[in-house]
Amino acid sequence: MKNRRLHIGLLLFVLIGVLPFVSAFVYAVLYSVGLAGVVNDGFTLRFWAAVWNSGEFLRSFGYSAGIAGISVVVSVSAAMWLTLQFKRELQHRWLSFVIYLPLAIPGVVAAFFMVQLFAKSGLFSRFAYHLGWIAEAREFPDLINDPYALGIMLAFITIVTPFFVLLFLNVYQNERVAELTELAESLGANKKQVLWRVTLPILLRKTWTLIGLYFIFLLGSYEVPLILGQESPQMLSVLIIREIKQYDLSKISEGYVVAVIYTIFVSLAAVLLFYRKKSTTDAG
Amino acid sequence: MFLEVKNVVKSFQQEQVVKDLSFGLEAHKTLSILGKSGCGKTTMLKILGGLVKPDSGHILLNGNLIDEQSPSDRHIVYLYQEDLLFPHLTIFENIAFGLRLKKMPREEVNAKVENMVHSLELEGQETKMPHQLSGGQRQRVSFGRAIITNPSLLLLDEPFGSLDTGTRQRMQELFKKLAAEFRITSLFVTHDLKEAILMGDEIAYMRSGQLTVYPDKEGFIRDPATGVQDEIAFWGELLPGSSNPL
Repeated sequence: MKNRRLHIGLLLFVLIGVLPFVSAFVYAVLYSVGLAGVVNDGFTLRFWAAVWNSGEFLRSFGYSAGIAGISVVVSVSAAMWLTLQFKRELQHRWLSFVIYLPLAIPGVVAAFFMVQLFAKSGLFSRFAYHLGWIAEAREFPDLINDPYALGIMLAFITIVTPFFVLLFLNVYQNERVAELTELAESLGANKKQVLWRVTLPILLRKTWTLIGLYFIFLLGSYEVPLILGQESPQMLSVLIIREIKQYDLSKISEGYVVAVIYTIFVSLAAVLLFYRKKSTTDAG
Repeated sequence: MFLEVKNVVKSFQQEQVVKDLSFGLEAHKTLSILGKSGCGKTTMLKILGGLVKPDSGHILLNGNLIDEQSPSDRHIVYLYQEDLLFPHLTIFENIAFGLRLKKMPREEVNAKVENMVHSLELEGQETKMPHQLSGGQRQRVSFGRAIITNPSLLLLDEPFGSLDTGTRQRMQELFKKLAAEFRITSLFVTHDLKEAILMGDEIAYMRSGQLTVYPDKEGFIRDPATGVQDEIAFWGELLPGSSNPL
């Protein structure tokens, strides 16, 4: 009976979780090598060569990885600081509500908030004008659709930081970091040694898989870079959708090439993350 | 006196948890402290370790006033009730933790840790992580990690409370052996009457934040407040043929 239930569960997982993803991936691979699609007429690697030679994919990948990496590093650092500095205050009901609130805001809404706050015609620009810091709106720094992706990163950091605060608070309590801190001090550790030898290693050891997954999540983010990003380079998902929706039908295959490469990279990264997590869990 | 505690008081909000605490302890001796839950034993140990600040009073260690010293400067190690090991470090690194803080040469650390592992009878466990050990083994690591730093004073807060009877007995023997080998001065808090008598060179009883140190073990046994008389009467009733030794 138990075995049967297990088999049904496995079947449902394959049908709902695996099959659609694998089918879509196979379709994308076939499209990328000319074996599927309206204008394609047989196997070819010219779309792969075109993507590779244009250099746009690599630029977009580097740009996306840079944005995702900086956003994750800043978010994790800010969340770590907030957790360690205000762990007691963050337990209060109204403050924990304030932390939970940004988690309920969808990316697209967060992006619009960023536009309203940081655009040249936005709220902060108006404040700056009324305070006499700028003489006209165009003097306000570019924070939206800007070349350094500051708007995108700001939106990502706003969305992700509260999640990491909650995560670190949880691990701090579950792993009894407060008691381990007292113990380390009792064994002769000063504040700096406690931080670097006890607190950070314990918190990061328990959360690095999720940190890695958040990097992957931000790498493939769509709405925020679509609204706040610049024309070129674009983040990966925006580039893929742009290529796939092109009027030039031959370009669609190139979009699928980018999608296939991105999927393979993300899948490998996820497998690596979980494989390493399993091996560290096995070892302790 | 090696340790001198003078008129220490500590209150949490309206409740006075430690009341006018004064006692002393000679070097290389163990003072067993008995007392019911919530009587202020843990607070007293944490005050000595510098983890809780007293409202008033003074603590002298080896003639030096340590009231204002931070926990890391006191050379007093407080051991928790549970075997609290660093979860991200191997057994070897857990034991070596205090030595690494002192930036001791690697060879010296290795030699000391290997010696301690031998004393703790934990050979072959050095590369394991804490969760791979049994409760008794973890408690031994916890002892070793504290003792290897050669603390001036060791504060043990019901260290064997969570162990089964057999393991508890072996740990008591091991502690006696280590205390003699490393010439440890310690305060040993326990709920167990027999353990208090076995482990302590001196015995004290804590009641509502006040500590009574007995001049000898017989005085402790004779005091009806300690519960020893009740214990003897209980066993006497179970075994009617035996006579009350006191």
